Amino acid sequence: MPNGTPPGPGLPPEVGAALRRAFEGEWARILATLIRVTGDWDVSEEAAAGAFERAAATWPRDGVPRTPGAWLTTTARNLALDRLRRAGVEAGKVRDWLADAEAEGRLSGPPDPADLVADAGEPLQDDRLRLVFTCAHPALPMPSRVALTLRTVGGLETAEIARAFFVAEPAMAQRIVRAKRKIAHAGIPYRVPSPADLPERLNGVLAVLYLIWNEGYLASSGDRLQRLDLAGEAIRLTRLVAGLLPAEEDVRSLLALMLLQHARADARTDERGDLVALEDQDRSAWQADELAEGLALLETLPATPAPRSPYRIQAEIQGVHARAADAAATDWPAIARWYDELHTVSPSPFVELNRAIARGLAHGPERGLHDLRELERTGRLAGYHLLPAALADLHRRAGEPGAAAAQYARAIALAPTAPERRYLERRLAALVD
Amino acid sequence: MEYALLYAEGDDPQPYDPAQDDIGAWVDDLEARGVSEYGERLRPEVDATTVRVRGGELLVTDGPFSEAKESIGGFDIIDVADLDEAIEIASRHPAARFARVEVRPFMQWPGAEPGARVVPRDLADRPVRGRRYLLLVISSPTGEADGDGDPEAWVSEMDARGARLFGDVLRPPADATYVRRRDGEVLVADGPFVEAKEWVAGFDLLEVRDLAEAIEVASKHPMARGGVLELRPLWPFDEHGDHVARLEHEVEVRDVRLEPSADEALAALAAAGR
Repeated sequence: MPNGTPPGPGLPPEVGAALRRAFEGEWARILATLIRVTGDWDVSEEAAAGAFERAAATWPRDGVPRTPGAWLTTTARNLALDRLRRAGVEAGKVRDWLADAEAEGRLSGPPDPADLVADAGEPLQDDRLRLVFTCAHPALPMPSRVALTLRTVGGLETAEIARAFFVAEPAMAQRIVRAKRKIAHAGIPYRVPSPADLPERLNGVLAVLYLIWNEGYLASSGDRLQRLDLAGEAIRLTRLVAGLLPAEEDVRSLLALMLLQHARADARTDERGDLVALEDQDRSAWQADELAEGLALLETLPATPAPRSPYRIQAEIQGVHARAADAAATDWPAIARWYDELHTVSPSPFVELNRAIARGLAHGPERGLHDLRELERTGRLAGYHLLPAALADLHRRAGEPGAAAAQYARAIALAPTAPERRYLERRLAALVD
Repeated sequence: MEYALLYAEGDDPQPYDPAQDDIGAWVDDLEARGVSEYGERLRPEVDATTVRVRGGELLVTDGPFSEAKESIGGFDIIDVADLDEAIEIASRHPAARFARVEVRPFMQWPGAEPGARVVPRDLADRPVRGRRYLLLVISSPTGEADGDGDPEAWVSEMDARGARLFGDVLRPPADATYVRRRDGEVLVADGPFVEAKEWVAGFDLLEVRDLAEAIEVASKHPMARGGVLELRPLWPFDEHGDHVARLEHEVEVRDVRLEPSADEALAALAAAGR
């Protein structure tokens, strides 16, 4: 349950829905602005959460306000002011803050498109962007960047983040506290990076979003293959950043990549929670709206010359899958070419593995097996279950069940999660039938 | 906000290329921006002297305190808007190309006077009256628990004596930021998440008669009992033309100890009755 939106048992459904909408739309904006004007992350977080709690308490009685966002913003501002006054912050500072906030009109109104107007010197002034870039600052450890982004920009509770990453809650709380302390002590600025730094810093933001996505989409351990809450959160956050930086190709590419993969989420597992291979998936179970949105995003991407960014290339690969009416219609030669390009911009044994599979499906199993054996000889993927799994699959396609069975057995022994193990066991069993 | 830039040998040192060493332009830029408080190059670690007090006994050894501490080749103190400006400045220092720069904020003391600086504003105008040593204050678990005292009395005494020019405590390594530049790309990394056992907790600039007096001053610091103190003589840029000529000249003395040995210094200390 997101922070501050507890549609408790007694909450009328329309109030719960309004609260949820307001949370999705306003949480990051309210918190980001409070942090800017108070400079105090803890006070701001408490005030923002307090405003949603107060809404949950009063809206059922008084009705949902006409502009919920403005109501929440005003309430959060007053709570923050109370907190600062009680903490003994000089009256002068609080007055200055109020005057500033009201002069700028940021704290008292609903979402203001003027926030997005480019200013001289700094590209964009939206407070949420400041928050996003501060949470993803390279001076913070990566696990802290991820946790802080989910906590502050996403509004998730510490316990939820801890569960999602299989970390004990006190340890996760400590991680977030340390990150906030470092922001204060090391002087990490609360602002959008200068145009000179923006490309590099944006890469840092995308890395955080991609990490959240990957953690949610393919659990690195445990029995659940997918953790949809985290994947959905990654999409929500990326959508937010894409909206704030509409000109950035990589952000849109990342969002397209996520949507096109997420569209297959339901078809990716069967009723027992076991993995279903892409070629066996029921394509009518793919989410049409997410597919359409992802493909439409791909259409908006500029005709950038190769080599394109890894996000763009991976999104294009997902696009090829999404456009195929069925597995047999997949344009594997196109996918193999995209992996060639990915290998030039971001070489890794994992890319080589995927390229070998694509080549095997595009140009015949022998071609793929040749590449896979070369890769195996380097020893760079030793212990990684998907290498023998790929060998097994191509041997199967080549009509070599004996060789395939031996590789499936190797893959099963190495598989890290139970669903993947069961999937491989079924493939092995199917070989014998 | 004030930061110490520590030029440390990183984990992937690059070959030194004199053509890439534009330290002069870097200093000029800092001066022009008015953000520089103070900066020095240090003699190599061969000229370090380590001072400890254990069980009431003064232990002095030649060379650096060796355990897992980076070698610091120089430092600057800058006063800039925020960490991003500090990173930008650090990334253009030649040390970012050949080694790495550690950006460390200073401890911000509650109740400090507004506008107070680590380095006194008039320091550059004061005549140099003695030899200057950088005193590195190293936190170490090998120290005596009761030695971790407040250095306030030491600071007052040494300031009054004129033996200490300035100094301060640094924020712990978790608040550090490491900056490197490789192939033109600026690489920024966080400080260690789990703190190292030993780290530079602060430093002071001493101005004394000789190494013997520096040792005496260091031995009175509470962290001589609570941790380890390392004395490093400065290594000013001299008049040997451009940096290539300087490099050729300095190569002869780079690995040579120019300071008196610890034994000589201790003997001098005893002879002076200090």
